[in-house]
Amino acid sequence: MALDPVARAAIVAALGPDDVVDDPVQTRAYECDGLTGYRVRPEIVLIPRDAEAVARAVKACHRNGVPFVARGAGTGLSGGALPVADGVVISLARLKRVLEVDPVNRRAVVEPGVTNLEITAAAAAHGLYYAPDPSSQQVCTIGGNVAENSGGAHCLKYGFTTNHVLAMEVVLPDGELVTLGGDSAEQLGPDLRGVFLGSEGTLGITTKITVRLLRTPETVRTLLADFPSVAEAGEVVSDIVAAGIVPAAVEMMDTLAIEAAEEAVHAGYTVGVPAALVVELDGPIEQCDAEFAQVKEICDAHGCTRLHIAGSPEERAAIWRGRKAAFAAVGRISPDYFVQDGVVPRTRLAEVLGRIADMGDEAGLRVANVFHAGDGNLHPLVLYSAAAGETERAEELSGAIAELCVELGGSLSGEHGIGTDKACSMPKMYGEEDLAVMKRVRDAFDPEGLCNPGKVLPTPRLCGERPGKYRPHPLEESGVIERL
Amino acid sequence: MSDREGTLTAVKPASLKEAREAVLDTAGRISIAGAGTAADWAGRLGHVDAVLDTTGLSGVITHNPGDMTVSVHAGTPLRALQEELAKHGQHLSFDAARVADGATVGGLVATADAGPSALVHGTLRDLVIGATTLLSDGAVVRSGGHVIKNVAGFDLAKLLHGSYGTLGVLVEVVLRLHPVPKAIGTVVVECDLAEAARLAGEVLASQLEPTAVEWLSSGRLLVRIDSTEEALPARLDRLTRLLGDAATVADGDGTAVWAEHAALTRGEKGAAVLRIGVRPSLLPGVLEGLPAAAVTAGLGTGVATVSLPGTAVAEAHAAVHAAGGTSVLRSRPADLDAPAWGPPPSALAVHKAVKQRFDPDGRFGPGRFDPWEIS
Ligand SMILES: Cc1cc2nc3c(=O)[nH]c(=O)nc-3n(C[C@H](O)[C@H](O)[C@H](O)COP(=O)(O)OP(=O)(O)OC[C@H]3O[C@@H](n4cnc5c(N)ncnc54)[C@H](O)[C@@H]3O)c2cc1C
Repeated sequence: MALDPVARAAIVAALGPDDVVDDPVQTRAYECDGLTGYRVRPEIVLIPRDAEAVARAVKACHRNGVPFVARGAGTGLSGGALPVADGVVISLARLKRVLEVDPVNRRAVVEPGVTNLEITAAAAAHGLYYAPDPSSQQVCTIGGNVAENSGGAHCLKYGFTTNHVLAMEVVLPDGELVTLGGDSAEQLGPDLRGVFLGSEGTLGITTKITVRLLRTPETVRTLLADFPSVAEAGEVVSDIVAAGIVPAAVEMMDTLAIEAAEEAVHAGYTVGVPAALVVELDGPIEQCDAEFAQVKEICDAHGCTRLHIAGSPEERAAIWRGRKAAFAAVGRISPDYFVQDGVVPRTRLAEVLGRIADMGDEAGLRVANVFHAGDGNLHPLVLYSAAAGETERAEELSGAIAELCVELGGSLSGEHGIGTDKACSMPKMYGEEDLAVMKRVRDAFDPEGLCNPGKVLPTPRLCGERPGKYRPHPLEESGVIERL
Repeated sequence: MSDREGTLTAVKPASLKEAREAVLDTAGRISIAGAGTAADWAGRLGHVDAVLDTTGLSGVITHNPGDMTVSVHAGTPLRALQEELAKHGQHLSFDAARVADGATVGGLVATADAGPSALVHGTLRDLVIGATTLLSDGAVVRSGGHVIKNVAGFDLAKLLHGSYGTLGVLVEVVLRLHPVPKAIGTVVVECDLAEAARLAGEVLASQLEPTAVEWLSSGRLLVRIDSTEEALPARLDRLTRLLGDAATVADGDGTAVWAEHAALTRGEKGAAVLRIGVRPSLLPGVLEGLPAAAVTAGLGTGVATVSLPGTAVAEAHAAVHAAGGTSVLRSRPADLDAPAWGPPPSALAVHKAVKQRFDPDGRFGPGRFDPWEIS
């Protein structure tokens, strides 16, 4: 590692030594995000105290040609906050003020280091909440959510981070401080806010965010239903949609996931059933009740073997505890696991689950499934034992599952992002020209390529040269679309 | 449109291939046109050599009712698409006034238009999940996809939203759909703007979940509820009680009052129509300060459309800007020389850099962002 001493001195001077960490023991805490398989130890970590300091730090990096990586809570699951060699990490951990809660206009202005759940906590006294709810909401930051365009169980009805951010103050890669978006949905020209949201920290560093707040719904109704097969549970989801109902959330878990969750938190799930659905409706009482009755009928019509309706807020919380524990809980039934994140058109859920099961059998590995059934966002958990030498096989299986999602007309990622992890898989989903134009956007914001380089878009250095000149879009190759 | 009308080439491609050939074979500057329902919105088009008419790119490509997504050719009139989708009990949750005039999907995206239900469903930027775009150098780019949840790659459709034909030709658009509400009701209160703002505040603080809250300069507040049939009477009843003695339920689903809203949004003949967005609580104050005739004011969204005398446009931009908001000129008298935009956004340099990378020779939509000089 060799950060040029002159550059280093300039960057440290931009903040003052108190806000710079270079002790190797301490910088170790920044060497990876939630995807711990990738690690790069940063030489220095900057921990600025306000937006102006972020701008000064970025300006110093820009002037000296030093790459930089923004970091929130480090819960990302795609290696987005992975440091770059010879670069610096800029942590937003100290920008954690809730600057304004405006109940009349139903919005809040916060700094990027505020956690997702703290926004709702600050708004709750006014009967308001911040809708996007990633499972990591207790710790992940809103700055990270903006970068990843994070989603959660309730995004089926309410939309993703991009639908709830009105404006951001951003330090551009040259250190200029600008605002993207505004006080209403009206725009001055192309929606730069929209393209920045979900750009995974590659277009600049967010220093202030204006989020929309929603009025808490009048009622919430939640049920947990068991089914004799994953296919039947899938049918239930289809029928709910066909009935014109937009549930707040529809989550599915399979046998393995149920077993793991139940072992971990004893939330009242039935161990041994092939599939369970969590369905939640919310809204004005009359409508919610009418639609909830319909959902119950649909469940019964598909051979539901047990229907548990949350009778109190505590019971509802227990159902969600089981669902949200499922990820970490598989650690109880397997020494190691990979979390995958792919999306298929919802109508292909049964098909994709069948194929995942076959692929797991072939690889001799177990796959647990817990996912957002309403929007087709899968989170297959590939279980393996590193000690038994299964790591490579598991990694291959996990990657193959993501690529299967693309083959079925879906996406490589529904919420965890591309980051470092899937950059080299991007050509499976987009053609060469598509990626080249995405690169134009990146270049427009960051011509020097200093802001979180090596993430999202594949580079020859990372992924090897691809032969030939033009690579068609994958859907073109499969005959689904015609280019010209 | 052109100061050399006689030499203006018109092309109407029927496929992506033809569109690409047209862009590559045509020398000079090009105006990208849809149905023409917003041809004079934003900055006045400068000199162009050709018009690329997108209405030949029409029709549904794939509609998967079970997935609630549809991909369409961008020149498809949204009205026609909605008719098609209605057969399946689905629609695009989008109700800008000019849909009824035949506006195309691509044109609606490019002009960032929106209607009253943006309060709940957002604008088209929130409903477009994928796009195929043709750039002026012939590059064809696909972004997003066919699934509602997708974070892979940069969301280029967002850049096209509000681009007014300056960055690329939208060729195909993939949209997220919603079920058509089974029953719709609208409560009307005859009142002035100040009273409407007070009542809107109460409705928005309640848990009644209105889909639209709009005041019209004819002196009416409209509050719309999308619902199931069973629940609608009770929901309207509670809303009416909240709004007080002056509140009545509009006949049927309120089609007539919403038609009045759409007419006001289109603006008065001979007036300059300005679209405004500010913090919702500031909207009444801003509107009171303008010499506006026809007004529709989204009291939950902060978005209003007003008809002004042409001479008042520059001052109106300034007043909106002073309130922290944004404004853009829509229809106007042909001979009006008024700025289309107020002061530029702080990220003007990025807008210029994006334009430079997407359309380096400045071929598409010259003048649309004047006086900022990015197109
Ligand atoms: C147990 C667990 C459950 C999870 N569940 C979900 C879920 O349900 N839904 C979901 O969407 N995600 C989920 N995640 C993933 C993760 O929590 C989200 O991606 C989250 O948004 C990351 O936030 P962070 O603050 O940890 O960001 P980090 O991991 O620190 O950074 C993520 C990316 O954002 C960039 N970044 C961070 N802050 C800024 C800033 N201020 N400006 C510019 N760029 C910035 C970084 O450079 C990096 O590229 C989960 C993760 C875990 C560990």
